[in-house]
Amino acid sequence: MKAILFTLALLLTANVCEAKIRLALNWKPEPQFGGFYAAEQNGEFKKRKLNVEIIPGGAGTPVIQMVGLGSVEYGVVSGDEVVIARSRGMKVVSLFATYQTHPQGVMAHAERGFKSLKDVFISEGPLALQMGLPYALLLKKKYPQAKSKIVPYLGGISNFLSDKKYSQQVFVTSEPLIAKQQKQDVSVFLVAEEGYNPYATVLAVQEEAFKSKPKEVQAMVEAVRAGWKSYMKNPKPTNKFMAKLNKAMSPELFDESEKAQRPLIETAETKTSGLGTMTEARWKQLVEQLLEVKIIPNSIPATELFRNL
Amino acid sequence: MKWILPLATLLVFGGLLEVVVKSGLVPSYIMPSTTDILRCFVEERETLIEGFLSTASASVIGLLLSIVLGVSVAVLLSLSKILRTAFYPYAVFFQTVPIIAVAPLLVIWFGFGQPTVIASAFIVSIFPVIASTLVGLQSTEHSLLDLFQIYHAPKSTTLFKLRLPFALPYIFSGLRIAAGLAVIGAVVGEFVGGGGLGSVVDVARTTQRLDLVFAAVLVSSLIGLILVSAVNLLAYALLHKWHASLKERT
Repeated sequence: MKAILFTLALLLTANVCEAKIRLALNWKPEPQFGGFYAAEQNGEFKKRKLNVEIIPGGAGTPVIQMVGLGSVEYGVVSGDEVVIARSRGMKVVSLFATYQTHPQGVMAHAERGFKSLKDVFISEGPLALQMGLPYALLLKKKYPQAKSKIVPYLGGISNFLSDKKYSQQVFVTSEPLIAKQQKQDVSVFLVAEEGYNPYATVLAVQEEAFKSKPKEVQAMVEAVRAGWKSYMKNPKPTNKFMAKLNKAMSPELFDESEKAQRPLIETAETKTSGLGTMTEARWKQLVEQLLEVKIIPNSIPATELFRNL
Repeated sequence: MKWILPLATLLVFGGLLEVVVKSGLVPSYIMPSTTDILRCFVEERETLIEGFLSTASASVIGLLLSIVLGVSVAVLLSLSKILRTAFYPYAVFFQTVPIIAVAPLLVIWFGFGQPTVIASAFIVSIFPVIASTLVGLQSTEHSLLDLFQIYHAPKSTTLFKLRLPFALPYIFSGLRIAAGLAVIGAVVGEFVGGGGLGSVVDVARTTQRLDLVFAAVLVSSLIGLILVSAVNLLAYALLHKWHASLKERT
């Protein structure tokens, strides 16, 4: 009887120690999540007794709401989503910012001779942007003399391929590489160059987790950072693994995308402060920009938005 | 009583939602409270009115095209057994087309803006019109058809004086379904083609404005309600004197 009880207690303890932790991504497995998958592949989660399940996302997956509601423990979101979510009452906090430079930009056909995003805005032709994106509103405000026609962003590049006057929003590590594979000569302008530079591919958690499970949160950030370190050193095995999960993307594209994202992840700052670290000044600037376009009604203290662990 | 009960239901559910959200049982970022939605109607009235006009016009044009083309195709199919056998299964099959999946293609074919939105409203609303009109045209009482034959009535007279009037109740059943679908088609078309309430919902989702999502959804439902009421009104005007479904019992 004692032996049975002991075994049961042991099983229960093991279960408590390694309760499943769900980490929701906001897109399919791609190099932008390389460090998270590397942490899984290299046993960084297991080493820290974290039983993490990575859940890939898709177009419109409401990851920030899922984190806010507690239907997943951690989520990968964009920095501006965290600010907006907090202004709507969701107590979520950023833990690790993969992209130090925002990877979104606008792609145009090179033959149009554009030199900057301003040229794209003040020239005629459709410009596909996801409606309501903060940078779209900021740029519209910055260039009131815009002649381009803002149209909905539909994903993919089929409209871009069929219309030489068409420009569209892109993830610099994705669509421009696909366009080049299709023998298109393209120009890409980062939104960050226009002054809008929120952190992206940000690991977020509910604020309450700092009280209820501070050790787990600390371990999670350490594991993710270790994952990114190892992925930056040797991305090939993880790329191979992710390519099996996302067959829509060729292995070559995985390698090219990983190369393209390096300078956005590893900066002079992160070399001293560590991968994924954030600054108050950057969050403060983001809050001010979102206030400027009235996406958030009131200011939020930048210190509430992130924790460097 | 006809008005009091639905109004009471609305008030009860509205009150319940208000209590559930304001008490914190359900967080407001998951479900907006009734007063939040009402406030949004006031604050965003210009955006909502603009969206209403754009979505309503596309829905109406799409629905009208469906009625004209749908009834014509159904008449054509009713006249020939070969045509009917060849095409009717497709009219039923295409009713199940997931418009959200084909909508991006419409942009490639019709470009951004109203043409895509109208095409989307038209595609989802034409098939119920064809299917129900055809069933109606096939359901004429045999004794009446025999009577027209005895008097050597030409085919056109049989069609316009007998078969079409007899099919009207069926046509209106199809139109009620088509009216609701036309609005859904228009909003889906706006997700990809831009403009109208579809764009309002899109922006509101991106900026996590659930109150605006709900307000825009309610306005689009209002368009559906107006269109269905218009169909009902037309049905009453054309049928109440002779058809059992709308004729008052004496």
